Amino acid sequence: MRPAKPPVRIFLIGVVLLVLALLLGLSVGGVSVSPADLWRGTGEAGETARLIASLRIPRVLLAAVVGGALALAGAAMQALLRNPLADPFLLGTSGGAAAGAALAALAGASPLLSPGAAFAGAAASSLAVVLLSRRGGRVDLNRLLLAGLIANAFFSAVLLGVFSVASTEAARTMLFWMMGSLADATPAKVGALVPYAVLGALPILASAGRLNLFAVGEESAAALGVDTERSKRLVFLAASLLTGAAVAFAGVIGFVGLLVPHAVRAVVGNDQRALLPLSAVSGAALLVAADALSRAAFAPAELPIGAVTAALGAPLFGWLLLRNP
Amino acid sequence: MTPLIEARALAARYGRTPALAGLDAVFAAGEVVAILGENGSGKSTLLKLLARILPPAGGELLLEGRPLGGLPRRETARRIAYLPQTVDLVFPIRSLDLVLQGRAPHNSGFAAEGPDDRRRALDAMRACDVADLAERDASALSGGERRRVFLARALAQEAEVWLLDEPTSGLDPRHRLEFLALLRRAHAERRTTVLLVTHEIDAAANLADRVLLLCEGRALAAGPPRETLTAENVRRAFGVEADVSTDPAGRLRVEPRSPSHA
Repeated sequence: MRPAKPPVRIFLIGVVLLVLALLLGLSVGGVSVSPADLWRGTGEAGETARLIASLRIPRVLLAAVVGGALALAGAAMQALLRNPLADPFLLGTSGGAAAGAALAALAGASPLLSPGAAFAGAAASSLAVVLLSRRGGRVDLNRLLLAGLIANAFFSAVLLGVFSVASTEAARTMLFWMMGSLADATPAKVGALVPYAVLGALPILASAGRLNLFAVGEESAAALGVDTERSKRLVFLAASLLTGAAVAFAGVIGFVGLLVPHAVRAVVGNDQRALLPLSAVSGAALLVAADALSRAAFAPAELPIGAVTAALGAPLFGWLLLRNP
Repeated sequence: MTPLIEARALAARYGRTPALAGLDAVFAAGEVVAILGENGSGKSTLLKLLARILPPAGGELLLEGRPLGGLPRRETARRIAYLPQTVDLVFPIRSLDLVLQGRAPHNSGFAAEGPDDRRRALDAMRACDVADLAERDASALSGGERRRVFLARALAQEAEVWLLDEPTSGLDPRHRLEFLALLRRAHAERRTTVLLVTHEIDAAANLADRVLLLCEGRALAAGPPRETLTAENVRRAFGVEADVSTDPAGRLRVEPRSPSHA
């Protein structure tokens, strides 16, 4: 079994991995630059390296924040639902966000409005799922999972419907929501995303002690003094906010919220005070590295980021399943 | 004198299904009360209301004369410990961490990390004979070991009231007897108030100071075991005829016969 204290050393390793991933993300792509030139920054090679890297900075940062948000949302949902397979995608939050953004695009709304529409979709999906899962004035966790299934089926129908009637040009934009992409990153987008990510992350990180008590069941947590209804609402809404923000700025990117907490749990155990922050850092590192791979693998062509995370995630997920039956 | 716990016309329901329908009961500090009754008579529900897992749907539930629902949740969790009937652990959890959960209501942010918490948790584990399991994964323990780890959590909680929901169901005879002996010892040392939900009428009758018989969400009878567990009350509560006797060692024996179809 794992030590109970939050392992500071492992957290630092996570941060180092993130920094390495960021350097990798700045270096690779259509034109590769060496990290050494990037570091020196002098001479012709150094200046060129810095110029190219500066163009990549928004994209790399977007990948980091989106990856961290998705992984943290997934880890929180897993702790709340006591289900290692739970994540924002399973509960229909991502689908709601993507459907909201796609509907706004179909209605001819300015692209500036699509983040708002994605948040509205995520919030509507969350609300619908919570209402569907209420029973006798309480949110029932089993019903929550089923309600998520219903929401996913509904929103994927909306997405497919919108996709089929949209103009060719609009359909290309819609493909962005469905496949996920970090290609349109700008400093303004990153700046707009960060406040939402922080607002979603803080309540989850602050709930880590309470979420630990959920590990033995909701009733057990209630008997130990946790206001479980309040905790569930707070964490569920914060995870929805994180997911909505990620989808609004990068489309639907799967596997991050499912895979990262799994991998981190295998290393540090299930203490949420270690698991949650480390999931955020590792999710950031994973998505930055996956994005670098998507640009480097068939450069100058780019792979869809969602395809990369799925191709990385599925085998690793299978391996984790075999290792921890 | 104000009783420690008092239920007045207490009602509860799951969705639309009523579980308690006007229960009146009183529990004094330091006594062991066995709560008996048919499946669905409201025994576990009463414990869940006291543990604040379920809110009452009507009536009053008082702790030292004050409505339980009006007290801060952490405060009642420091005073009332709940031992759940069944627990499925999905993720691995170290037994010591599970016992440390009992310290959570005592600390801000529900942390359970201090050296003092650790010492109390290990003391509780020693008292429950599970100190050697401290580093083991609780989700991989046997049923009997896990029950004792959960009792250690209740001990570490240092509450004055214990709510035990069928703590010995599913245990083999040896572990059952060991658990009951452990419970007796812990109660003798700490003078806690114990509310014990069980189907083991004989064991309850000989362990408890008083018996509360529930039927269809109401109190059918309450009092000392010998006066309460009469053949008449057993028939009304469980729908079975029973022979009530005292064995040579002076223990009360309640032996059910065939179901009555009155």
